[in-house]
Amino acid sequence: MSIQNLNTFDPFADAIKGSDDDVQDGLVHIRIQQRNGRKTLTTVQGLSSEYDLKKIVRACKKEFACNGTVIEHPEYGEVLQLQGDQRENICQWLTKSGLAKPDQLKVHGF
Amino acid sequence: MTEEDAMFDPKLTKKKKKKKTGFDLDAAIADSGNVGMDASENSKAEKENMEVDPAPIEDDEALDLESFGKKKKKKKKFNLEELEAALPETKKEENNDNQVEENEVDEIDLNLDFTKEKKKKKKKKDLEELIEDRKENENNENEEPSQWVGSDRDYTYDELLARVFNIMKEKNPDMVAGKKQKFVMRPPQVVRIGTKKTSFSNFTEICKTLHRQPKHLLDFLLAELGTSGSVDGNSQLIIKGRFQQKQIENVLRRYIKEYVTCHTCRSPDTILQKDTRLFFLQCETCGSRCSVASIKSGFQAVTGKRAAIRAKNA
Repeated sequence: MSIQNLNTFDPFADAIKGSDDDVQDGLVHIRIQQRNGRKTLTTVQGLSSEYDLKKIVRACKKEFACNGTVIEHPEYGEVLQLQGDQRENICQWLTKSGLAKPDQLKVHGF
Repeated sequence: MTEEDAMFDPKLTKKKKKKKTGFDLDAAIADSGNVGMDASENSKAEKENMEVDPAPIEDDEALDLESFGKKKKKKKKFNLEELEAALPETKKEENNDNQVEENEVDEIDLNLDFTKEKKKKKKKKDLEELIEDRKENENNENEEPSQWVGSDRDYTYDELLARVFNIMKEKNPDMVAGKKQKFVMRPPQVVRIGTKKTSFSNFTEICKTLHRQPKHLLDFLLAELGTSGSVDGNSQLIIKGRFQQKQIENVLRRYIKEYVTCHTCRSPDTILQKDTRLFFLQCETCGSRCSVASIKSGFQAVTGKRAAIRAKNA
Protein backbone atom coordinates (compact mmCIF):
# COMPACT_ATOMS: atom_id res chain seq x y z
CA MET A 1 0.00 0.00 0.00
CA SER A 2 1.36 3.33 -0.92
CA ILE A 3 0.81 6.40 1.14
CA GLN A 4 -1.28 8.90 -0.73
CA ASN A 5 0.50 11.94 0.65
CA LEU A 6 3.89 10.77 -0.52
CA ASN A 7 2.77 10.18 -4.06
CA THR A 8 4.46 12.38 -6.58
CA PHE A 9 1.73 14.49 -7.92
CA ASP A 10 2.18 17.40 -10.21
CA PRO A 11 -0.35 20.04 -9.26
CA PHE A 12 0.34 21.92 -12.48
CA ALA A 13 -0.32 19.02 -14.81
CA ASP A 14 -3.70 20.38 -15.69
CA ALA A 15 -2.41 23.86 -16.18
CA ILE A 16 0.15 22.69 -18.72
CA LYS A 17 -2.44 20.77 -20.59
CA GLY A 18 -4.86 23.65 -20.48
CA SER A 19 -2.45 26.31 -21.68
CA ASP A 20 -2.26 25.05 -25.22
CA ASP A 21 -5.78 23.83 -25.63
CA ASP A 22 -4.93 21.92 -28.73
CA VAL A 23 -7.89 19.76 -29.42
CA GLN A 24 -6.95 19.32 -33.03
CA ASP A 25 -4.46 16.55 -33.56
CA GLY A 26 -3.65 14.92 -36.83
CA LEU A 27 -4.03 16.31 -40.28
CA VAL A 28 -7.06 17.99 -41.71
CA HIS A 29 -7.50 16.82 -45.28
CA ILE A 30 -9.08 19.32 -47.60
CA ARG A 31 -10.12 17.79 -50.89
CA ILE A 32 -11.88 18.84 -53.99
CA GLN A 33 -14.13 16.76 -56.17
CA GLN A 34 -15.48 17.53 -59.58
CA ARG A 35 -19.16 17.29 -60.23
CA ASN A 36 -21.05 17.65 -63.45
CA GLY A 37 -20.15 20.67 -65.52
CA ARG A 38 -17.83 23.09 -63.79
CA LYS A 39 -19.30 22.45 -60.38
CA THR A 40 -17.09 21.29 -57.58
CA LEU A 41 -17.36 20.07 -54.03
CA THR A 42 -14.96 20.65 -51.14
CA THR A 43 -14.64 18.12 -48.35
CA VAL A 44 -12.91 18.69 -45.04
CA GLN A 45 -11.97 15.50 -43.29
CA GLY A 46 -10.21 14.96 -39.99
CA LEU A 47 -11.44 17.84 -37.87
CA SER A 48 -11.37 16.90 -34.21
CA SER A 49 -14.55 15.37 -32.86
CA GLU A 50 -14.34 17.80 -29.95
CA TYR A 51 -15.46 20.55 -32.25
CA ASP A 52 -19.08 21.08 -32.98
CA LEU A 53 -19.09 20.49 -36.70
CA LYS A 54 -22.62 21.75 -37.06
CA LYS A 55 -21.65 25.12 -35.73
CA ILE A 56 -18.58 25.20 -37.93
CA VAL A 57 -20.57 24.43 -41.02
CA ARG A 58 -23.09 27.09 -40.14
CA ALA A 59 -20.33 29.68 -39.83
CA CYS A 60 -18.66 28.53 -43.04
CA LYS A 61 -21.87 28.69 -45.02
CA LYS A 62 -22.36 32.24 -43.95
CA GLU A 63 -18.75 33.24 -44.49
CA PHE A 64 -18.23 31.73 -47.92
CA ALA A 65 -21.81 32.21 -49.10
CA CYS A 66 -22.20 28.60 -50.09
CA ASN A 67 -24.22 25.66 -48.95
CA GLY A 68 -22.73 22.89 -46.91
CA THR A 69 -23.47 19.93 -44.74
CA VAL A 70 -21.97 17.57 -42.19
CA ILE A 71 -21.77 13.95 -43.26
CA GLU A 72 -21.38 11.06 -40.89
CA HIS A 73 -18.98 8.44 -42.17
CA PRO A 74 -18.33 5.14 -40.42
CA GLU A 75 -14.58 5.25 -41.06
CA TYR A 76 -13.66 8.92 -41.27
CA GLY A 77 -16.07 10.32 -38.69
CA GLU A 78 -17.79 13.57 -39.37
CA VAL A 79 -16.86 15.18 -42.64
CA LEU A 80 -17.61 18.73 -43.67
CA GLN A 81 -18.88 19.16 -47.18
CA LEU A 82 -19.12 22.52 -48.91
CA GLN A 83 -20.31 23.50 -52.34
CA GLY A 84 -17.81 24.95 -54.74
CA ASP A 85 -14.04 25.27 -54.56
CA GLN A 86 -13.59 26.54 -51.02
CA ARG A 87 -10.10 25.19 -50.42
CA GLU A 88 -8.43 28.57 -50.05
CA ASN A 89 -11.29 29.95 -48.02
CA ILE A 90 -11.49 27.07 -45.60
CA CYS A 91 -7.72 27.07 -45.08
CA GLN A 92 -7.69 30.73 -44.21
CA TRP A 93 -10.77 30.46 -42.06
CA LEU A 94 -9.54 27.47 -40.06
CA THR A 95 -6.23 29.14 -39.29
CA LYS A 96 -7.81 32.49 -38.56
CA SER A 97 -10.31 31.02 -36.13
CA GLY A 98 -7.54 28.95 -34.52
CA LEU A 99 -9.24 25.62 -35.10
CA ALA A 100 -6.18 24.20 -36.80
CA LYS A 101 -2.63 25.25 -37.41
CA PRO A 102 -1.40 25.84 -40.96
CA ASP A 103 0.89 22.83 -40.77
CA GLN A 104 -2.03 20.60 -39.83
CA LEU A 105 -3.85 21.44 -43.04
CA LYS A 106 -3.26 19.25 -46.04
CA VAL A 107 -4.78 20.41 -49.27
CA HIS A 108 -5.32 17.79 -51.95
CA GLY A 109 -6.38 18.11 -55.53
CA PHE A 110 -4.98 20.10 -58.39
CA MET B 1 6.66 33.51 -74.21
CA THR B 2 6.16 37.23 -74.54
CA GLU B 3 6.12 37.63 -70.82
CA GLU B 4 9.29 35.73 -70.49
CA ASP B 5 10.92 37.91 -73.05
CA ALA B 6 9.84 40.96 -71.17
CA MET B 7 11.30 39.46 -68.07
CA PHE B 8 14.54 38.85 -69.75
CA ASP B 9 14.97 42.29 -71.18
CA PRO B 10 15.66 44.46 -68.18
CA LYS B 11 17.99 41.91 -66.79
CA LEU B 12 19.84 41.68 -70.00
CA THR B 13 20.67 45.33 -70.03
CA LYS B 14 21.48 45.29 -66.38
CA LYS B 15 23.71 42.34 -66.79
CA LYS B 16 25.55 43.89 -69.65
CA LYS B 17 26.24 47.04 -67.81
CA LYS B 18 27.54 45.27 -64.80
CA LYS B 19 29.41 42.75 -66.79
CA LYS B 20 31.26 45.27 -68.81
CA THR B 21 32.73 46.75 -65.74
CA GLY B 22 33.41 43.25 -64.47
CA PHE B 23 35.23 42.35 -67.60
CA ASP B 24 37.08 45.60 -67.77
CA LEU B 25 39.36 44.37 -65.13
CA ASP B 26 40.22 41.39 -67.21
CA ALA B 27 40.65 43.53 -70.24
CA ALA B 28 42.86 45.93 -68.40
CA ILE B 29 45.00 43.16 -67.07
CA ALA B 30 45.23 41.62 -70.47
CA ASP B 31 46.18 44.93 -71.96
CA SER B 32 49.11 45.32 -69.69
CA GLY B 33 50.03 41.67 -70.04
CA ASN B 34 49.57 39.46 -73.06
CA VAL B 35 46.50 39.17 -75.22
CA GLY B 36 46.35 35.38 -75.15
CA MET B 37 45.48 35.46 -71.49
CA ASP B 38 42.31 37.33 -72.15
CA ALA B 39 40.68 34.65 -74.22
CA SER B 40 41.34 32.03 -71.60
CA GLU B 41 40.04 34.34 -68.94
CA ASN B 42 36.86 34.87 -70.85
CA SER B 43 36.23 31.22 -71.40
CA LYS B 44 36.94 30.59 -67.76
CA ALA B 45 34.39 33.13 -66.71
CA GLU B 46 31.87 31.65 -69.05
CA LYS B 47 32.44 28.22 -67.66
CA GLU B 48 31.94 29.64 -64.24
CA ASN B 49 28.58 30.92 -65.33
CA MET B 50 27.53 27.59 -66.64
CA GLU B 51 28.45 26.00 -63.40
CA VAL B 52 26.70 28.47 -61.26
CA ASP B 53 23.51 28.70 -63.24
CA PRO B 54 21.44 25.82 -61.92
CA ALA B 55 22.49 26.25 -58.34
CA PRO B 56 20.27 24.65 -55.69
CA ILE B 57 18.16 26.61 -53.31
CA GLU B 58 20.14 26.45 -50.12
CA ASP B 59 23.19 27.54 -51.93
CA ASP B 60 21.36 30.58 -53.19
CA GLU B 61 20.26 31.65 -49.79
CA ALA B 62 23.67 31.35 -48.39
CA LEU B 63 25.18 33.31 -51.18
CA ASP B 64 22.48 35.90 -51.15
CA LEU B 65 23.62 36.96 -47.76
CA GLU B 66 26.93 37.56 -49.27
CA SER B 67 25.56 39.72 -52.01
CA PHE B 68 23.67 41.93 -49.58
CA GLY B 69 26.70 42.77 -47.64
CA LYS B 70 28.84 43.16 -50.68
CA LYS B 71 27.12 45.98 -52.41
CA LYS B 72 29.03 48.79 -50.86
CA LYS B 73 32.33 47.24 -51.52
CA LYS B 74 31.51 46.48 -55.08
CA LYS B 75 30.81 50.06 -55.89
CA LYS B 76 34.12 51.17 -54.59
CA LYS B 77 35.85 48.54 -56.60
CA PHE B 78 34.17 49.52 -59.80
CA ASN B 79 35.26 53.09 -59.51
CA LEU B 80 38.83 52.04 -59.23
CA GLU B 81 38.48 49.74 -62.14
CA GLU B 82 36.83 52.34 -64.26
CA LEU B 83 39.71 54.64 -63.66
CA GLU B 84 42.14 51.99 -64.65
CA ALA B 85 40.27 50.61 -67.55
CA ALA B 86 41.09 51.49 -71.09
CA LEU B 87 38.76 49.14 -72.79
CA PRO B 88 39.41 47.77 -76.24
CA GLU B 89 36.33 47.67 -78.44
CA THR B 90 36.79 44.29 -80.01
CA LYS B 91 36.84 42.49 -76.74
CA LYS B 92 33.56 43.98 -75.70
CA GLU B 93 31.93 42.52 -78.74
CA GLU B 94 33.24 39.14 -77.87
CA ASN B 95 31.75 39.43 -74.47
CA ASN B 96 28.43 40.33 -75.93
CA ASP B 97 28.47 37.24 -78.05
CA ASN B 98 29.11 35.14 -75.04
CA GLN B 99 26.22 36.71 -73.26
CA VAL B 100 23.82 35.97 -76.04
CA GLU B 101 24.81 32.35 -75.94
CA GLU B 102 24.28 32.20 -72.25
CA ASN B 103 20.87 33.67 -72.46
CA GLU B 104 19.84 31.15 -75.00
CA VAL B 105 20.93 28.39 -72.73
CA ASP B 106 18.89 29.89 -69.96
CA GLU B 107 15.79 29.98 -72.06
CA ILE B 108 16.08 26.39 -73.06
CA ASP B 109 16.43 25.46 -69.45
CA LEU B 110 13.27 27.27 -68.61
CA ASN B 111 11.36 25.58 -71.35
CA LEU B 112 12.39 22.10 -70.45
CA ASP B 113 12.23 22.23 -66.76
CA PHE B 114 8.72 22.51 -65.51
CA THR B 115 9.46 21.14 -62.09
CA LYS B 116 11.14 24.29 -60.94
CA GLU B 117 9.54 26.82 -63.18
CA LYS B 118 7.95 28.89 -60.50
CA LYS B 119 10.84 29.01 -58.15
CA LYS B 120 13.22 29.74 -60.91
CA LYS B 121 11.51 32.85 -62.09
CA LYS B 122 11.69 34.35 -58.66
CA LYS B 123 15.20 33.17 -58.25
CA LYS B 124 16.41 34.49 -61.53
CA LYS B 125 17.49 37.81 -60.15
CA ASP B 126 19.29 36.21 -57.31
CA LEU B 127 21.08 33.98 -59.73
CA GLU B 128 22.17 36.96 -61.73
CA GLU B 129 23.61 38.49 -58.64
CA LEU B 130 25.16 35.25 -57.72
CA ILE B 131 26.95 35.00 -61.00
CA GLU B 132 28.20 38.50 -60.65
CA ASP B 133 29.36 37.75 -57.20
CA ARG B 134 31.19 34.65 -58.15
CA LYS B 135 32.94 36.52 -60.83
CA GLU B 136 33.80 39.27 -58.45
CA ASN B 137 35.27 36.69 -56.16
CA GLU B 138 37.32 35.30 -58.96
CA ASN B 139 38.67 38.67 -59.80
CA ASN B 140 39.26 39.60 -56.24
CA GLU B 141 40.94 36.40 -55.31
CA ASN B 142 44.35 37.72 -56.08
CA GLU B 143 43.84 41.02 -54.34
CA GLU B 144 41.79 39.88 -51.41
CA PRO B 145 44.51 38.65 -49.05
CA SER B 146 46.56 41.75 -49.65
CA GLN B 147 43.73 43.85 -48.30
CA TRP B 148 44.45 42.85 -44.73
CA VAL B 149 47.86 41.22 -44.91
CA GLY B 150 49.72 44.46 -44.61
CA SER B 151 47.34 46.35 -42.36
CA ASP B 152 46.50 45.79 -38.70
CA ARG B 153 42.73 46.22 -39.08
CA ASP B 154 40.00 43.65 -38.40
CA TYR B 155 38.62 41.62 -41.24
CA THR B 156 35.19 42.58 -42.37
CA TYR B 157 32.50 39.96 -42.49
CA ASP B 158 32.28 40.11 -46.25
CA GLU B 159 35.94 39.48 -46.74
CA LEU B 160 35.89 36.45 -44.51
CA LEU B 161 32.77 35.10 -46.14
CA ALA B 162 34.24 35.49 -49.59
CA ARG B 163 37.41 33.81 -48.38
CA VAL B 164 35.57 30.85 -46.95
CA PHE B 165 33.61 30.33 -50.14
CA ASN B 166 36.74 30.51 -52.21
CA ILE B 167 38.43 27.94 -50.05
CA MET B 168 35.38 25.69 -50.23
CA LYS B 169 35.35 25.94 -53.96
CA GLU B 170 39.02 25.15 -54.22
CA LYS B 171 38.97 22.20 -51.85
CA ASN B 172 36.02 20.41 -53.39
CA PRO B 173 34.91 21.64 -56.75
CA ASP B 174 32.50 18.68 -56.93
CA MET B 175 30.33 20.21 -54.29
CA VAL B 176 29.28 23.05 -56.54
CA ALA B 177 29.11 20.90 -59.62
CA GLY B 178 27.52 17.85 -57.99
CA LYS B 179 24.82 19.68 -56.12
CA LYS B 180 23.40 21.39 -59.13
CA GLN B 181 21.85 18.19 -60.39
CA LYS B 182 18.60 19.39 -61.71
CA PHE B 183 15.50 17.42 -62.20
CA VAL B 184 14.54 18.04 -65.79
CA MET B 185 11.56 16.27 -67.23
CA ARG B 186 9.09 16.64 -70.01
CA PRO B 187 5.80 18.31 -69.23
CA PRO B 188 2.75 16.06 -69.12
CA GLN B 189 0.66 16.04 -72.25
CA VAL B 190 -2.91 16.51 -71.23
CA VAL B 191 -5.72 16.49 -73.75
CA ARG B 192 -9.46 16.56 -73.22
CA ILE B 193 -11.45 13.68 -74.64
CA GLY B 194 -14.98 14.84 -75.24
CA THR B 195 -16.38 16.87 -72.39
CA LYS B 196 -16.02 14.60 -69.42
CA LYS B 197 -12.72 12.79 -69.77
CA THR B 198 -9.08 13.83 -69.88
CA SER B 199 -6.22 11.94 -71.43
CA PHE B 200 -2.71 12.03 -70.04
CA SER B 201 -0.85 10.70 -73.07
CA ASN B 202 2.77 10.50 -71.89
CA PHE B 203 1.90 8.90 -68.57
CA THR B 204 4.07 5.81 -68.95
CA GLU B 205 6.92 7.89 -70.28
CA ILE B 206 6.83 10.06 -67.17
CA CYS B 207 6.69 6.97 -64.98
CA LYS B 208 9.83 5.78 -66.69
CA THR B 209 11.69 9.04 -66.17
CA LEU B 210 10.70 9.02 -62.52
CA HIS B 211 11.58 5.33 -62.13
CA ARG B 212 8.30 4.55 -60.48
CA GLN B 213 5.68 1.89 -61.03
CA PRO B 214 2.85 3.23 -63.18
CA LYS B 215 0.42 1.76 -60.68
CA HIS B 216 1.86 3.80 -57.85
CA LEU B 217 1.66 7.05 -59.75
CA LEU B 218 -1.80 6.13 -60.98
CA ASP B 219 -2.99 5.51 -57.43
CA PHE B 220 -1.59 8.82 -56.32
CA LEU B 221 -3.05 10.81 -59.18
CA LEU B 222 -6.50 9.33 -58.79
CA ALA B 223 -6.49 9.74 -55.03
CA GLU B 224 -5.35 13.36 -55.27
CA LEU B 225 -7.77 14.31 -58.00
CA GLY B 226 -10.59 12.43 -56.34
CA THR B 227 -11.71 10.71 -59.49
CA SER B 228 -11.44 7.41 -61.27
CA GLY B 229 -9.45 6.48 -64.33
CA SER B 230 -7.44 3.80 -66.05
CA VAL B 231 -4.61 3.17 -68.47
CA ASP B 232 -5.86 2.30 -71.93
CA GLY B 233 -4.34 0.27 -74.76
CA ASN B 234 -2.12 3.05 -76.05
CA SER B 235 -0.56 3.30 -72.58
CA GLN B 236 -2.19 6.65 -71.98
CA LEU B 237 -4.07 7.45 -68.83
CA ILE B 238 -7.74 8.33 -69.10
CA ILE B 239 -9.03 10.33 -66.15
CA LYS B 240 -12.64 11.10 -65.51
CA GLY B 241 -13.24 14.81 -65.18
CA ARG B 242 -11.83 17.95 -66.76
CA PHE B 243 -8.24 18.70 -65.98
CA GLN B 244 -5.73 21.05 -67.48
CA GLN B 245 -2.06 20.50 -67.95
CA LYS B 246 -1.24 23.01 -65.24
CA GLN B 247 -3.31 21.14 -62.70
CA ILE B 248 -1.77 17.79 -63.54
CA GLU B 249 1.65 19.40 -63.36
CA ASN B 250 0.85 20.61 -59.88
CA VAL B 251 -0.10 17.15 -58.70
CA LEU B 252 2.96 15.65 -60.37
CA ARG B 253 5.15 18.15 -58.61
CA ARG B 254 3.68 17.10 -55.31
CA TYR B 255 4.24 13.46 -56.18
CA ILE B 256 7.87 14.12 -57.01
CA LYS B 257 8.39 16.02 -53.81
CA GLU B 258 6.92 13.26 -51.68
CA TYR B 259 7.80 10.04 -53.48
CA VAL B 260 10.76 10.74 -55.77
CA THR B 261 13.20 13.21 -54.29
CA CYS B 262 15.07 12.21 -51.16
CA HIS B 263 13.73 13.99 -48.10
CA THR B 264 17.21 14.51 -46.75
CA CYS B 265 19.36 15.51 -49.71
CA ARG B 266 16.70 16.10 -52.38
CA SER B 267 18.43 13.89 -54.86
CA PRO B 268 16.06 12.24 -57.31
CA ASP B 269 18.20 9.12 -57.33
CA THR B 270 15.98 7.02 -55.10
CA ILE B 271 14.27 3.66 -54.91
CA LEU B 272 10.78 3.11 -53.56
CA GLN B 273 10.40 -0.18 -51.73
CA LYS B 274 7.47 -1.80 -50.06
CA ASP B 275 8.26 -3.21 -46.66
CA THR B 276 5.60 -4.64 -44.36
CA ARG B 277 2.77 -2.65 -45.87
CA LEU B 278 4.73 0.60 -45.73
CA PHE B 279 6.56 2.33 -48.53
CA PHE B 280 10.15 3.29 -47.88
CA LEU B 281 12.22 5.69 -49.90
CA GLN B 282 15.85 4.63 -50.15
CA CYS B 283 18.25 7.27 -51.40
CA GLU B 284 21.09 6.10 -53.60
CA THR B 285 23.11 9.25 -53.09
CA CYS B 286 23.15 9.80 -49.35
CA GLY B 287 21.90 6.39 -48.24
CA SER B 288 19.09 7.69 -46.11
CA ARG B 289 15.94 5.65 -45.81
CA CYS B 290 12.63 7.00 -44.67
CA SER B 291 9.02 6.02 -44.84
CA VAL B 292 6.65 7.97 -47.03
CA ALA B 293 2.99 8.64 -46.57
CA SER B 294 0.68 5.95 -47.82
CA ILE B 295 -1.74 6.90 -50.56
CA LYS B 296 -5.26 7.24 -49.29
CA SER B 297 -8.13 8.64 -51.20
CA GLY B 298 -9.98 9.43 -47.98
CA PHE B 299 -13.58 10.47 -47.86
CA GLN B 300 -15.32 10.54 -51.19
CA ALA B 301 -18.56 12.40 -51.44
CA VAL B 302 -21.38 11.12 -53.57
CA THR B 303 -21.30 13.06 -56.82
CA GLY B 304 -23.11 10.72 -59.18
CA LYS B 305 -26.75 9.90 -59.28
CA ARG B 306 -27.87 8.30 -56.06
CA ALA B 307 -30.50 6.28 -57.84
CA ALA B 308 -27.83 4.67 -60.01
CA ILE B 309 -25.76 3.72 -56.98
CA ARG B 310 -28.77 2.26 -55.27
CA ALA B 311 -29.59 0.26 -58.35
CA LYS B 312 -26.05 -1.08 -58.50
CA ASN B 313 -25.98 -2.16 -54.87
CA ALA B 314 -29.35 -3.79 -54.88
